[in-house]
Amino acid sequence: MGKKKRGHPDVEELLSRPWCYYCERDFEDLKLLISHQKAKHFKCDRCGRRLNTAGGLSVHMNQVHKESLSSVENALPNRQGLEVEIFGMEGIPEDIVQQHNQRIIQNYYQAQAERYAATGNPPPGQNGKGPAKKLKIESPDDIKKRLAEHRARLAAQKAATGGSATHTPQEGLPNGPSPVQSASPGTFNSPFPPPGGQYPGYPPQQPPPVPGYTPPAQYPPAYPPSSLPTRPGSNLPAPPGLPPRPGQPGWQGGNTASTIDELVSGAAQSGDDIDQIIRMAEAGIKPKKSDAEGEEAAAPPPAAEKKSKKDKDKNVRMVYEDELSPEERMAMMPRYAFHPEAAAA
Amino acid sequence: MAPATQFELSNPPNDAISALAFAPSSSSRLLVSSWDKKAYLYDLQASDENAEGFRGSLLSAFEHRAPVMDVCFGANDDEAFSAGMDWTVQRIDLASGDMSVVAKHGAPVRRVVYSREHSLLISASWDSTLQVHSPLDASLPALTIPLPGKPHALAASPSKVIVAMTSRLVHIYDLSALSSAVTSRASSPPPPWQQRESSLKFLTRAVAAMPSDAGYATSSIEGRVAVEWFDASAESQARKYAFKCHRQQQPQENGSGGAMDVVYPVNALAFHPAFGTFASGGGDATVALWDAEAKRRMKIYQKFPDSVAALAFSADGRYLAVGVCPGFESGMEDYEGQGRSHVLIRELGETEALPKGKAK
Repeated sequence: MGKKKRGHPDVEELLSRPWCYYCERDFEDLKLLISHQKAKHFKCDRCGRRLNTAGGLSVHMNQVHKESLSSVENALPNRQGLEVEIFGMEGIPEDIVQQHNQRIIQNYYQAQAERYAATGNPPPGQNGKGPAKKLKIESPDDIKKRLAEHRARLAAQKAATGGSATHTPQEGLPNGPSPVQSASPGTFNSPFPPPGGQYPGYPPQQPPPVPGYTPPAQYPPAYPPSSLPTRPGSNLPAPPGLPPRPGQPGWQGGNTASTIDELVSGAAQSGDDIDQIIRMAEAGIKPKKSDAEGEEAAAPPPAAEKKSKKDKDKNVRMVYEDELSPEERMAMMPRYAFHPEAAAA
Repeated sequence: MAPATQFELSNPPNDAISALAFAPSSSSRLLVSSWDKKAYLYDLQASDENAEGFRGSLLSAFEHRAPVMDVCFGANDDEAFSAGMDWTVQRIDLASGDMSVVAKHGAPVRRVVYSREHSLLISASWDSTLQVHSPLDASLPALTIPLPGKPHALAASPSKVIVAMTSRLVHIYDLSALSSAVTSRASSPPPPWQQRESSLKFLTRAVAAMPSDAGYATSSIEGRVAVEWFDASAESQARKYAFKCHRQQQPQENGSGGAMDVVYPVNALAFHPAFGTFASGGGDATVALWDAEAKRRMKIYQKFPDSVAALAFSADGRYLAVGVCPGFESGMEDYEGQGRSHVLIRELGETEALPKGKAK
C-alpha cells in the first residue's frame, strides 16, 4: 500500500526544521529563521535597526540610545532573558532543545492519532510506539447513557415495526472500558461490515447485546437508503442529505464518532492539525475570521491565540474579578472616601 | 526616520492616576487627574534641568476636595473639566486657575467628556445618570438622562457618545439629538440612539471612540478588547470582533507543570487621531498598539514599571502618554499608589502607529 502523505510531514521532517528559541516558531530554512529573529526579536524599537543577537541589540541600545535593554521583544514569557546568546539555532540550551523536540513529537503523535481516529485508518505498523492514541471515544458512562436511550428507542421502534437496527452480537465483552480502547482500529471496525450485505439478515428481535458498545442513535438513518429497501415503519425519512460517499462504505459508521457531522468535521479538523501546529505561532499570517461573536476566533494577539486550544483545560486566574469596578472599591477606602457636607446631617 | 524616544514627566502625581488628556491643539499640554485630589497640567516641551530620562515641567496643579476621577479639555487649550469623587464636575480655567462647579450629581462622577463639535459637556456619574451641559450658554438647564446602570466608561466620537455601564449595558447617544434637547430645554431626555449589550462577558473597563466616527472599542476586566461599528446594518455588525490580550502565562504554583493564564484587566484604550489604530493598556504593565481594521497587533511595548491606568494620544498623534500606577486587584484591602505613579510619554516614530502597507 502506497503511503499517501496528504500534506502531513513526518516527524523527522518536523524535527529538522529550524526554530526560534524566543517564540518557538519554526521555519523552512535557517536563513528565514535568522531574518525572523532580526526582525522580531533583535530589532531596535527606537531606530528600527536590526541586530544579529540580543547582546548586539543591548550594546546598540546602550551606545546609541543610552538605554538599557531589559528583555527580548515578542518573546515567550520565559524566554525574554538576555542571558542566552542566540543566533539562529546556535546557543539554545540543551534542555530547551529537548523540550522543544518533545513537544514536536508529542504534537505529531497526537495529531497522528487524531487523524487515525478520525479516518479510521490503522496506523502503519507502529502500534504501541508512540504515546497512547487518542481515539474519539465516549466514557463508559456516556456509552451507558446512550445505550439506555438507544434501548428505549429500540423498544419503541420494535413495538411499531419489528425491524429495528441492531448489530453483531458480541458476547463476553466487558461492560467497563469500551472494547474500542483495547482493540486496534483495524479490529474494531470488523464487527461492522458494510450494511448493504448483512444488515437485513439480522434477526429483528435481537436485543442490543453489547452494553459497552452501541451504535449511536443516529446510526440507522445514516445508511444509504438503498441498503434498506424495505424497512417497514421506519418513521425517519430517507436521508437525502447523506448520499453514499464513494470510497467510504457504510462501515465508516462503525467509527466512534457519534454523528456523521462529527465524523466529517473530525476528519477535516485533524487534517489541519499538523498545519496548525506548524503555524501555531504564526498568528501573523493566520487567516482572518470575521466571526461576529467570535470571542476566540478573531484574535489578532498571537500570544493569546497560540494557546487558545489549550485554554479550556488550563487554569485561568483573573487579576481583577468583581461586579464592582476597581474605582468603586477604591472609593470605599477611607483614604479616598468623600463625605458630602449635605449628607452629614 | 526620527528616532522614537520615551521620557518620564518630572513631578508626577503623588497617588494613582485616573486619567490623561492632551490639549486639542497643542501637543505639549497634558492634563493628568489623580487620586491625590489634584489635577495637573504639564508642558512636555519645557525642560527643567532634569535627571536623565525626565522631561516636561509641571505648570500648575489644581486642588480638589476629593480624588479626581477624570479630566478633559474644553473648547480650547485653556479650558478643562474635571470629574470628582465629590459629586461635582468642575470647570477649570487653566490660565487663571479659577475653578467653578458646572454640574452636581448625586454620587461620585466617574467620567467626563467634552464634544468640541457640539460644544457639549457630558458627565457620567455613579448615581446612574448622564448630565449634558452646554458650557457656552450657562443659562440653559442641564439635561439629565437616567441610565439603567452605573456608568463605568464614556467616550465621544464626532457625532456619538458611548456610555458603558454595569451589567454589560452599552448606550449610544446621538450628540446632535442631545444638543437640540438641551437648547430646546426639552423636559424629557431623548432616547438612546442605540442600546447594545457589550460583546464582552465581563465588566467593561474602558471605551474609546474611533475619530473616524465609524465605531468604538471597549475593553473588560477579563483581558479582552472588542471593536464594534456604529452602523447597525447586518454586514457592519458582522465585522465586529473581540480578542484576548494582556494576559501572561505563568507556571502553576502547585507545581503540577501546567501553565496558568493570568488575565489582567484592560484599563485603558485610546485611538490614534488619524491612523485608525489604537492603543490598549493593561494591568500587566504593557501597552499594545493594534490595527483596528486589519485586526493585527502592531506593536507591544516593553513593560512599564507598573499597571497601565490611562492612555492618551496627542492631537497630532505624535505622542502617546501612558499613566502608570499600581493596579487595584481583587482581594486588596489597602491600596497605595504613592511614589509609584508615573506618567511616561512616548514620542512615536513617524510610522510607528501607521498600519502596515498604508505608508503615506
